Amino acid sequence: MMEAASAHATNVLRRKRRGTPWLDSMVAPALGVLAIVVGYPIVYTLVLSAHDYDLAGTEAPRYIGVANYHKLVEDPTFWKALVNSGIYAFGSVAVAALIGLALALLTEDLVGRKGRIARMLLLAPWAVPFVVTAFLFRYMYLQNGGAINAALIETGLIRAPIPWLNSAYLAMPAVMVANVWAMAPFFFLLLSAALAGIPNEVIESARVDRASRFDLVVRIKLPFLRNALLIGSLLMIIANFNDFAKIWAMTQGGPGYSTTTLVIYVYRQAFEKFAFGYASAIGVVWLVLLLGFAMAYLRALRAN
Amino acid sequence: MLRTIRVSLAICALAATLAAGFIFDAQAADGKVVLTFANWAAAEGTTKPAIEKAIAEFEKAHPDIEIKSEAISFSEIARQLVLRVRSGNPPDVAQLAGNDTFVVAATGRLEPLDSYLGDVQSRLKPDSIKDLRHQGKLIALPWTLAPAGFWYNKAIMAKAGLDPEHPPQTVDELTKAMAAIKKSQPDVIPLALDTTNRPFALQSNWPWMATFGATPVVESKSQADTPEMKRYLGWLRDLAKSGYIDPGRKIGEFRPLAAQDKVAFVWDQVLLQGVIQSANKMSDADFYKRWGVTTQPAGPSGKAYSFEGGHQLVLFADSKQKKAAWMFMQYLATSPEAIKVYTLGPGSSLPPLAAAPNAELKAALDTPVYQSFLTRIIPTVTTPAFGPAFASASTAIMAGVQQAVTSSDPIDPIAKSMQQELDRR
Repeated sequence: MMEAASAHATNVLRRKRRGTPWLDSMVAPALGVLAIVVGYPIVYTLVLSAHDYDLAGTEAPRYIGVANYHKLVEDPTFWKALVNSGIYAFGSVAVAALIGLALALLTEDLVGRKGRIARMLLLAPWAVPFVVTAFLFRYMYLQNGGAINAALIETGLIRAPIPWLNSAYLAMPAVMVANVWAMAPFFFLLLSAALAGIPNEVIESARVDRASRFDLVVRIKLPFLRNALLIGSLLMIIANFNDFAKIWAMTQGGPGYSTTTLVIYVYRQAFEKFAFGYASAIGVVWLVLLLGFAMAYLRALRAN
Repeated sequence: MLRTIRVSLAICALAATLAAGFIFDAQAADGKVVLTFANWAAAEGTTKPAIEKAIAEFEKAHPDIEIKSEAISFSEIARQLVLRVRSGNPPDVAQLAGNDTFVVAATGRLEPLDSYLGDVQSRLKPDSIKDLRHQGKLIALPWTLAPAGFWYNKAIMAKAGLDPEHPPQTVDELTKAMAAIKKSQPDVIPLALDTTNRPFALQSNWPWMATFGATPVVESKSQADTPEMKRYLGWLRDLAKSGYIDPGRKIGEFRPLAAQDKVAFVWDQVLLQGVIQSANKMSDADFYKRWGVTTQPAGPSGKAYSFEGGHQLVLFADSKQKKAAWMFMQYLATSPEAIKVYTLGPGSSLPPLAAAPNAELKAALDTPVYQSFLTRIIPTVTTPAFGPAFASASTAIMAGVQQAVTSSDPIDPIAKSMQQELDRR
């Protein structure tokens, strides 16, 4: 009876709306604001990407068509930065999600004061500003006087200090560790909330069916966490693709180009070389990549 | 009720507008010229009190001029000034140094100073302005001279069994000295060298490249893939592998360590003395007992080089108060008061003047450190071709330097890849 009444009300509303198209125009102000704050910079970046524009020079921007894109295809540093961005974003998110999941499962049954304290401590890194995290790890990683090397030498695990951030091979993993430390609490929080949302009946019936703890996690809980994981990962992958502060504060993209990601490369092009045209071309490619990725991800989410 | 609130708000807004108008009129009516001065001296703890004092003294002597100091960090100032020029909001005067001066000059918005110079030119060291020309015009007034020298810690040298009065004169002697220091004091960094990826680091490494016979950029020509450059990269790699340098640190990060006797040799500017003394409160006498400074140990070329990292003052073409701005610039660079308070104070640099303006400053300049810089180090200064091309080359060259220092990739491909990247610019 109630359902029928609700359906009737919806139909009436739809009929009314059909007769009042002016209601659609109510979104116009919001669209106008979006066009200015999102649309204009995107269009301007597209226009700039077709120009040779040296911000520090005296010459006016010169139209060069797709020359910046040709240059980009032949620029090995761009490809290196693209690969680094992928490694940094996907690698960090995968590890942080796994750690967050493990922590959420481990603390799920903790109740009372102990549970609250444990959750508070586990969430603490999320509250630390990213730049502080970066400097904290930078000083811990120092080859001379860093806490990590000092601890490893003290415990006899190594004899000479390891150049964590000064090795072309170790710098990226070292930066990713700092990033994972800062990001894992986000997944922990998200997945703890999702775990709490699993209906008790489902868990109870699995227990009645004598499901093992492993089966309970893999066959019951993980499918329920799937959407939360997908959305959280999408958000974090985009955030990590755009992560500037941590990498810049720790390595400035070095040594060499070993931790140079797209955002660092764009920054160097735009604000060190003042090559705004070329930096815009990189920005356009970056935007297209992220849009494509987000669309594929959302499609996967809808399919589930 | 709602109407009352609206009326009250309207009255408040009107009152605020009128008050703002009165205040604005009062500022304009007092006839003071307000100059904006973008600088990093006010952004650094060591120099902030001195620059504030120098500005206060200028304002006292010129009650009709008010200086609004805008503190911007050293690494940000060129970027911010270029953006401010492009958005039509530059300051009147700014402090700049090295390549940054020429990056900002490339915008075409710096006021040429040739017509302002007048009799000041005869008081300046001729060499102090010779490299400050852009397209034939003088675009900056030298404020301080701060060349780099080879600083050596005598106590660390003595502990390593080295003669503290005879610092290394060649790269080979330096390598031997560093080996002795590393062996006797493993927690000491033998050589502080800036290997970060930024234009200043290339400027700092330029004399070392030069002493190996390498000049990776000459005007618009690139020559990074040369035997000399490879030799330099190989030498740096050997230093890193032996633990003689600590890659990735900015030179400023070595200074507190130097103050704690944790660094044996420092490739740094004349201002190091002021930074060390402000950190550890060492007296002048103790400082000269502990530290000495000399020319760079010569490499395969047989010649020692240095770089000039002094600071300049620039005047923006958009300034509406050029006359007052020039007076302020002249005061900072040449007046005995400003030299005493700032240049020789915590800035511990050298004034750009050919002769000390009075007996007090002459006596202040008569120290072992200043004399070493004035008589031996300044003649070895070499200046690269600064400008936007140098900034753009610095990323490629320093990335190559970092790769040589921190990886085991063969040197030949590193030099080749540096060359290719420079060619693509």
